[in-house]
Amino acid sequence: MSVVTVVRRAVLWVPDWPVVAAMSDAGLGDDAPAAVLHGRGLVAVSAAARAAGVRRGSTRRLAQRACPELAILPYDEGRDSRLFEAVAAAAEQVVAGVEISRPGLLMIPADGAARFHGSEEALAEALATAVAEQAGVECAVGAADGLLAAVLAARDSALVPQGQSRPYLAPAPVESLGLAAMERAQREEVERLASVLARLGIVTLGDLAALPFADVIARFGPVGAWAHRLASGEDLAPPVLRRSEEDIAVEHVFEDPAERVEQLTLVAAIAAERLDRALLDAGARCGRVRITARTERGHELERVWRTDVGTRAGAFARHMTDRVRWQLEGWLSGTAGGPEPAPLVALGLVAEDVVPLGSEQAYLWGGVSGADSRAHRALERVQGLLGLEGVLAVAEQGGRSPRDRAHLAPWGQEAPPARAVAHPWPGRIPDPAPATVPPAPRPVQVLDAGGSPVTITRRLAVSASPTWVRLEADPADERARAANRHPSAGHVGRIEGPVWDRPRPVESWAGPWPVAERWWSEDASRRAYLQITLQDGEGASLAVLVAYGEARWELEAVYD
Amino acid sequence: METVEARLARARAALAGVQYRVGTTRDRWEAPTLPLAPVLDRVLPQGLRRGQVVSVIGSTSLMLALASAASAEGSWTAVVGMPSLGVVAAARRGLDLTRLALVPHPGAQAAAAAGACIDGMDVVILGPRLALSDADRRRLASRARERGTVIVAEGPWSGAHATLTAVASRWHGLGAGDGRLRGRDLEVRVEGRASGPARLVSLRLDAEASVRREAGVPEPLRALGGAA
Repeated sequence: MSVVTVVRRAVLWVPDWPVVAAMSDAGLGDDAPAAVLHGRGLVAVSAAARAAGVRRGSTRRLAQRACPELAILPYDEGRDSRLFEAVAAAAEQVVAGVEISRPGLLMIPADGAARFHGSEEALAEALATAVAEQAGVECAVGAADGLLAAVLAARDSALVPQGQSRPYLAPAPVESLGLAAMERAQREEVERLASVLARLGIVTLGDLAALPFADVIARFGPVGAWAHRLASGEDLAPPVLRRSEEDIAVEHVFEDPAERVEQLTLVAAIAAERLDRALLDAGARCGRVRITARTERGHELERVWRTDVGTRAGAFARHMTDRVRWQLEGWLSGTAGGPEPAPLVALGLVAEDVVPLGSEQAYLWGGVSGADSRAHRALERVQGLLGLEGVLAVAEQGGRSPRDRAHLAPWGQEAPPARAVAHPWPGRIPDPAPATVPPAPRPVQVLDAGGSPVTITRRLAVSASPTWVRLEADPADERARAANRHPSAGHVGRIEGPVWDRPRPVESWAGPWPVAERWWSEDASRRAYLQITLQDGEGASLAVLVAYGEARWELEAVYD
Repeated sequence: METVEARLARARAALAGVQYRVGTTRDRWEAPTLPLAPVLDRVLPQGLRRGQVVSVIGSTSLMLALASAASAEGSWTAVVGMPSLGVVAAARRGLDLTRLALVPHPGAQAAAAAGACIDGMDVVILGPRLALSDADRRRLASRARERGTVIVAEGPWSGAHATLTAVASRWHGLGAGDGRLRGRDLEVRVEGRASGPARLVSLRLDAEASVRREAGVPEPLRALGGAA
């Protein structure tokens, strides 16, 4: 009961791709022992490391015991897929259309290509040669009917004859189903299924394929159906072929190092113009532009900007000029972060996510036109009025205090949140989230019944129960200012510091909740939080979040 | 057996039809509405009409709640002149952060920035201390009417279609050194240009699942609690 006709395909597999990519990125030789670490376990291990006894899935410490000179490299999905473009491009020299199933695995429709090259053996040889010569990577090629058989064949470098996929798959263990899962979430699900099957005594794919399809779907649901189809040598979906487009780059080297943005305004316009022309010549549009600059001291600065594809046909150069100018301004003044500002010697623009003109991807519901592009245009106009930091895009990120949990970045700039929301963040201030969070903490006084400040010791002992809270007065409040000036407020002569509003009685409070963060870095903080509700007029209460640290109280947020 | 209400409705419909044919009334055009969180149904029974100005005094949460349902269903929201907006609170209320833009410090360009936002966005939230003259406000309001944008302004706004004042809010859940904030009752005074005398409406915002179930809160309130 095949839904999709089974396609004969060749699979090109680069063993241990994450570690191969990481090593070439880190400039290590092919024979160095290296491994890629993600979370607590190794996800990929190089051949030399495997020979030394390092295994996939083992912890960092076990691996280093087996092989002390092991280079542990960070995990980066973006890097994996970026570098795999070179392999895909090399394969495309041999075959017209390829599908990247996941970084490290390429699907190639074998029928036509094998006819062109004479035989499947010739095709496999041509592919392996092209990839080795142009991308400098060793790979294995296999061919078979159906997805899973082709993937397994690539691991054996085998060419399974037509119609022989089912017998070829039959002796393979059920764990090999995981090889056909292309995403991590899917792989975990499949691994769970495989372990259940193994415990039920179904150890090979042949056993699985022999089960009635209806029973499998009744017991295991969609993932069972998926596994059964693959084990029977069938296909789930026809391969999706895509042609990758090369990134288009423009580079501009300055005659003299530029220190002021005035020197660069014209350069920004020229570079944007050249990029626009290069894109038009290639008949393409781009989804992102990477702006790079090199400083006199040799630092490489780079930032990625999104541009909306499609609606930008005429105004692209002007749109990009502004962004380049803002970015250069930020780098020269040092407000954009990164290394110390220094004169710039070169500017580069790289158009990424290049798509042929007219084949832009629309949203699932509705096109790129309409309300979304109208809103983008409005925000870009405001950004033109107020400058780069005038319009901010927001996202939620991981953190404990309400301020840490907001991530702000200039509109249009690609800046992923620094901390993952999914991590547990023990000690996080519980929901509900406060609606007002000042950009910087404001001073506040928390007083006991006698009017002296409440303190909290290192062991979280509260000196007295909070009874009064004085917030900062509204700067426009004339009466509060006058009261503050009055000698009864305890001042003589010039008054410094904030103007305090009248003391408000505390209704109820909770805490202290200790949060000691980032003790290893410069922005370490060690504070204790209190939630306090204050009486605010007749029968009304005002809830605030205050923090005590370094012997002073700060207003963190207001629940208004 | 026909109920009294149904007969009254039929009679009114017949009368309206006669009036329309004779020409004694002009058809009033009703602007389309944006979706509104169910808990606010009693606050704005006529819905959040496009092109209107709603002034909110004393509660940022209420402003976010006004914009939340529209944002969740695809509207764009701009927040002008509120540098201390709680982003997490906005997300918990149900605003889609990918369609939310902040203009925290418009400074002297407040009128131009707000105008540009009104042109392109569906809901524009204006902060309390913006450099806007009365003439600017009138201009923004008429631009919003023309564009079908809803302005939610913090602080008084002369000529607002509805003014919502948070007169009292009561928080629950804290003790003397224990507990945590769990929920609150907000009492809102609603004044409208065309809706007669002021009304007092009490809402339960930020109620938690467990608390809600025990309290047996009716359905519309529960829905906002889910968004909170």
